[in-house]
Amino acid sequence: MTSLSWKVGAVVAVGVGVTDVVLSAYQGVTLSDLVVGTAVNAVTISAGLVVWASRPASRMGVLITVWGICGFLADTVGLLPDSRLGATVGLPLVLLPSAVYAHMVLAYPTGRLVDRVDRAAIGVIYAAALMWSLPLLIGSNPSGCTDCVPGVPSLLFIGQIGPLRTIGQGFSALFIVLGAAFVCLVVRRIRRASPGVRRTLWPLALAAVFGGAQFIARSAANLFGFASWQETLLWLDRASGVAVPIALAIGVLTTRRARGPVGNLVVELGNVQPGGVRDALARTLGDPTLELALWLPDRGIWVDERGRAIAVAETSSRAVTLIGDDLAAIVHDPDLADQRSLLEAAGSAARLALENERLHAELRSQLDELRASRARIVRAGDDERRRLERDLHDGAQQRLLGVGLVLQLVRARVPDGEAAELVAEAESELREALRELRDLARGIHPAVLVDQGLGSAIKTLAGRSSVPVRVSTDGERLPPQVETASYFVVAEALANIAHHADAGHVDVTVRRENGSAIVEIRDDGRGGADATGSGLQGLADRVKSLDGRFSVHSPPGSGTCVTAEIPCG
Amino acid sequence: MRVAIADDSVIVREGLARLLADRDVDVSGLAADAEQLLALVDAKRPDVAIVDIRMPPTHTDEGLVAADLIRGRFPRVGVLVLSQYTDAAYALRLLDGDETGRGYLLKDRITAADALVDALERIQAGECVIEPELIEALLANPARSDRLAALTPRERDVLALLAEGLTDRGIGERLWLSQSTVETHVRHILQKLDLPTGSGHNRRVHAVLTYLDR
Repeated sequence: MTSLSWKVGAVVAVGVGVTDVVLSAYQGVTLSDLVVGTAVNAVTISAGLVVWASRPASRMGVLITVWGICGFLADTVGLLPDSRLGATVGLPLVLLPSAVYAHMVLAYPTGRLVDRVDRAAIGVIYAAALMWSLPLLIGSNPSGCTDCVPGVPSLLFIGQIGPLRTIGQGFSALFIVLGAAFVCLVVRRIRRASPGVRRTLWPLALAAVFGGAQFIARSAANLFGFASWQETLLWLDRASGVAVPIALAIGVLTTRRARGPVGNLVVELGNVQPGGVRDALARTLGDPTLELALWLPDRGIWVDERGRAIAVAETSSRAVTLIGDDLAAIVHDPDLADQRSLLEAAGSAARLALENERLHAELRSQLDELRASRARIVRAGDDERRRLERDLHDGAQQRLLGVGLVLQLVRARVPDGEAAELVAEAESELREALRELRDLARGIHPAVLVDQGLGSAIKTLAGRSSVPVRVSTDGERLPPQVETASYFVVAEALANIAHHADAGHVDVTVRRENGSAIVEIRDDGRGGADATGSGLQGLADRVKSLDGRFSVHSPPGSGTCVTAEIPCG
Repeated sequence: MRVAIADDSVIVREGLARLLADRDVDVSGLAADAEQLLALVDAKRPDVAIVDIRMPPTHTDEGLVAADLIRGRFPRVGVLVLSQYTDAAYALRLLDGDETGRGYLLKDRITAADALVDALERIQAGECVIEPELIEALLANPARSDRLAALTPRERDVLALLAEGLTDRGIGERLWLSQSTVETHVRHILQKLDLPTGSGHNRRVHAVLTYLDR
């Protein structure tokens, strides 16, 4: 807020005060009336100017200033010496401040009437406020005036009008209805607002309900002619007038508090960790449900800060605010849209951090994609192995067996001699072929792994090892992909030990710990194994495709320990 | 002797039936899966059912499941499971509960009709039959050599045949030993391996197998 606007506000306040003092001295107005009237108008106009100057974008300043000026004019004209001009100008001004007041309250805090019902209601209120004075300007009540009609006729005065009193009563009734409608609209506004907006709204709403109530009371007093109420109601009128600037001040201060965090946001974003921008924005905007979406132009999708694809759509319960061109979107509580400037400020402040965040999200998304594709490749490989093993069993193995069966029939039908010997030779070759085929099928995919589990499969592996192997498993079945990976880890490790380790014996342990399978193959060989060799590297890839960990500890001369830790979840 | 044959491969099923018929074994029926086999066994009550371990629908261990069912419903029918696997786990599973009249052989054995018919006869007699190649693999396991070091070479031969399911008399015939000599060997073996000596023959096979697979 500029100091100039303060100064202008102060000058106007003094000007208003002086004018009122001079005029009231002339009219002999009581001191209390003077102080209250002057204070209300001076404070209102000054406040309006200050808001206008500091928030040119908001129409609130204009409305407050207009309201204050109307009030000042209405009061001042009332203080002018009786004249036909004064009566002509003053009378229409009597209710105008109330109409502007209603407009201002419903338009708070943006200064614009968004709701169609609000807009229609304010239109009717303005029309009623101006129409009200017309009958009183052109005519006078034959039986005298009960309202504060000026003592002299206006410039438009025609003569006595018969139903003037009835018309006045009609307007009073209309004002009661409009007052009640206004109170309802204010209550509706509060009830529809989100908690955050409600916080800035309630002081003014409270003042407005109070103002509306006293307006209804005044109209009722006019309608039913309770003259004795007038004094009390006049004071209530002034009190409600004073309440509004106070409420506005509270509202402005609350809004300022909400704006403060944008400054904090800038500081916070300076050292935010990747993935932390969403939380910072949620704190700043006071919306814990806030979601951050980052646009990946290459892939044409929205992702969250972890790189997972998400949908961004405006719904009745979620609003979307875009930041930058194709950079990010904030999906938030629709009530936050009332604080557009705050949203924009926070968005601008976070822009650089969001660019950074998007790079991280892109990277994560690619990593996830890569991890998923690696897992798919391994799974496809395993499926292929199983299919191949089954094809061997169902195809070649059965046919060879068929040949064997026929050969035996042949042998039973040829006499002993060369032919029988040849058949026997063929049978022997056939059995060898069957054995090789069996070993091949087993190497491709050991059926025992699926049928009897990892423990049995490892036992058979161990039994075939040339180095003594001690096996320790708890016999518990693990998920199939974990058993397969564990099996190949043990198989490859045992093959490596047989070829390179020069070991005296091997310990193979499979245990379950914290939801993971831990496979450990430890030998007492010469150590110094090359963990980047194709065999071990392939195992590492297989284990990591299941989000597991794979390590080879092989100090020269102290044996080798291969460990795989595979999550079972 | 009457047998039923269950195998999802037509080549094996029909071929085996022909071969056994050639050897004067009465084939009372053929089945393509476990369900058909059970119906067949129910209707014909063969002496032995020959079952492929791997049959539809899952192609995993249907043969073992069928053996279990036959044991429960037709205790007098023996079962010979033909398998591709030399894993002791399968054989132990077959013998679990009751070893009487059970056999586990590699499918390759159907290319040696004499051995096959011999196994069928032993199963019909209530013995159990375990694939020699499987026992060979268990005994060859270097991790076991310490434990078996106390046995003499002859005792090792006896142990192998014992594990294959042969009776003392059967072992004696194979090794050209008198039955009492075999009995002595067996007693020594069981003592040295710290296995119970008093149990029946088939129990003994199970105990030895379990010991070797440990």
